[in-house]
Amino acid sequence: MRKAVVTTLGLLVALSMILAACAPATPQVVEKEKVVEKPVVQTVVVEKEKVVEKPVVQTVVVEKKVEVVVTPTPVPPGKFAGRSINFIAIQPHTVASKALAKWFEEETGARVNVLIVPYGNVTEKEVLDVTSGAGEYDVMEYWYPMLGSLVENGVLMDLTEWWNTHAQEIKADDFVPVFRDVFTTIEGRKYGIPYDGDLHLLFYNTTLFKKHNLQPPTTWDEYLAACKAITEAEKGNDIYGCGIMGAKIPLILIGTYLNRLAGFGGSFFDEKGNPTINSPEAVAALEALVAQLPYALPDPTAVAFDELLGGWLTGRVGMAEFWTDLGQMTDNPEQSKIIGEWDVVPMPKGTGPKAKVAAPLNAGFGLGVSTLAQDKELALEFIRFVARPDINVRVNTIVGGLDPTRLSTYDAPEYRKHVTDKLADAAKEAVLSRPVPWPTDAKWAELQDVLNENLSLALTGAKTPKQALDDTQAEWEKILGK
Amino acid sequence: MNVTLEKRTPTLMILPIVIILVVMISFLFYVIGLSVTDSTLSKPFKDFVGLANFQKALADQTFIHSIGNTLIFAFGVTAIETFLGFVLALALYTEIRAGRILRTLAMLPLFTPPVAVAMIWRLIYDPVSGFLNHYLFKFGLIERPVAFLGRADLAMPSIMAADVWQWTPFCFLLILAALQSLPTEPYEAAAVDGASSWQVFWRITLPLVTPSLIVTFLFRLIIALKVFDLVFILTYGGPGSATQVMSFYIYKVGFTMFKTGYAAALTLLVFFMVAIISTILTTGRELLMRWQR
Repeated sequence: MRKAVVTTLGLLVALSMILAACAPATPQVVEKEKVVEKPVVQTVVVEKEKVVEKPVVQTVVVEKKVEVVVTPTPVPPGKFAGRSINFIAIQPHTVASKALAKWFEEETGARVNVLIVPYGNVTEKEVLDVTSGAGEYDVMEYWYPMLGSLVENGVLMDLTEWWNTHAQEIKADDFVPVFRDVFTTIEGRKYGIPYDGDLHLLFYNTTLFKKHNLQPPTTWDEYLAACKAITEAEKGNDIYGCGIMGAKIPLILIGTYLNRLAGFGGSFFDEKGNPTINSPEAVAALEALVAQLPYALPDPTAVAFDELLGGWLTGRVGMAEFWTDLGQMTDNPEQSKIIGEWDVVPMPKGTGPKAKVAAPLNAGFGLGVSTLAQDKELALEFIRFVARPDINVRVNTIVGGLDPTRLSTYDAPEYRKHVTDKLADAAKEAVLSRPVPWPTDAKWAELQDVLNENLSLALTGAKTPKQALDDTQAEWEKILGK
Repeated sequence: MNVTLEKRTPTLMILPIVIILVVMISFLFYVIGLSVTDSTLSKPFKDFVGLANFQKALADQTFIHSIGNTLIFAFGVTAIETFLGFVLALALYTEIRAGRILRTLAMLPLFTPPVAVAMIWRLIYDPVSGFLNHYLFKFGLIERPVAFLGRADLAMPSIMAADVWQWTPFCFLLILAALQSLPTEPYEAAAVDGASSWQVFWRITLPLVTPSLIVTFLFRLIIALKVFDLVFILTYGGPGSATQVMSFYIYKVGFTMFKTGYAAALTLLVFFMVAIISTILTTGRELLMRWQR
């Protein structure tokens, strides 16, 4: 019996080693990059890239074949009629994505099938779609901090040549610089276009603030005082001074923390790419967040996008750190009970010598084309359509879940009328003067999970803020080999 | 010709099951192959690393914590569900007038898709508009809404409650079938001897049905050890790591960090753990049956 067990185990191990040894070799160092271009008709780019080392993390770019189709401008009438593509989009952008598909169909005759997925699962679905060889999606909406992972896994087509060819036509300089660069670029190559220009501002309920004789906060200390004042005064009325999104979802929880981290002058990494997540500013920021929790809409650890929105729109939340489209939603009579009872200010700043007002780019999405797209030409045409300045204005004047990505949209009278001048001005000023983006490196997927876990433990009291961030720092250094 | 066919018939008859077994085992070997490499989702079988992934797993505090959470969840819900299923089955296996309707109603949660179950319970627990908070508030039991899924001390019991609601009918069905198949002779003899209801239950029903209870417990335990959907939708493993279970952690490693090699090693460790638990329970059942004989 014992002999049989040992023999079986031995065979299992041997077979596993044979399988591993027989597996296709991982692409290692391939240095050549060849670009063959034919004017107007088709550009075929066969990319072979090498292992690249960055200060922050190591990025390995897989060998991939990328085909870029350059579409002549203008498009001959009926060229795309009858053709179709699949567009994977996240649930909060359902209305906008379907509207874009409809307008595109009206203009070209081509059909865009919008496939909606939860925002938390979009990256894995896209990676699996390509790595499994399914190729179901042609156009992909992606969360920009995952851009490095998507590129590393060979999910997105290299659109650098497309950008070069269409720069003038799509008015590349009109994109908000940080969206154009951070949302789309890895290692100097472009893989998408900006789609949703997300950033957080602080919204407050003017009725509640007037009732309690409060001023909008400019520092996190004032924020805590205002939140506490409303919550304690409204005790028993189920009204709270602030709503804090602390659910254990990276996009949500890290965003909430970054609002404070940036305000205290901290950052994830220093200029050399070394982790600085347990710096005094970072610890102070997390301590400030933990101190605010008892006065927030219960219970912050279970509050995400939908829960905060529900509390805010029913007038039960005094302050909400939210995306700029909250103004449109608040003034929508179909869903809001506090129409016109809101105002918006920049994120508060922290205390200490490095404190500053910041505009963290929480969430934020781009549009790219899958390397396995069935109809790349049509997918690129759709991208070109979405990138147009007039379409950016049009899609941002419906309540569709998107925020502007173009400077001209902030100034467009239709948009300003739709969201109010104060919101358009606040968003534009914030995004131009103090944007704080998330990292986009391929290792971020792993790093953010560690941070998310430890932040959540700090919020529940299982770890002190310092302990949580010290643990994060240690784990990050291990992951990055620092 | 006929003789040849006759000789080969047994081989041909077992061929389908052999093919199925080979396919099933080949997947296991695929996972084993991945587990000894530094694979990622887009680069399977990348770099042989030997047992490094297993060593890493055994030192991974998050994984060890998730094992603890899984065992608490699985043994907790299985014990409760088996007990409730037994009580329900005892109450309903006699032919009372409303028996069939009640049995059908009791099984409804089992027919509900797991994702729908999670969504229903998410709405029930919602601190803003959930009816649980509404009634607790109405009856003066709480002063402010309770975030059942947002508190580290309440999140796991809340998920367990949802699971108990969904899976108790499964235990009920299996135990009901066992009760209905019990021999009638011992009961007739007990009636002749004038045994009380309690004596009948304690001396006849319980000993006879115990092997089936253990099988029910085992089936349910194996399913409970793989819990994923409720955690994914209700808490995403939080708050903190209060509800992070093994399946969810493996999912995160494999599909949000794309480290499939490490995820495969974790999967194999879970596989061995479930196999050991199943073996212990099966052996216990056999010993009990031998002792009863």
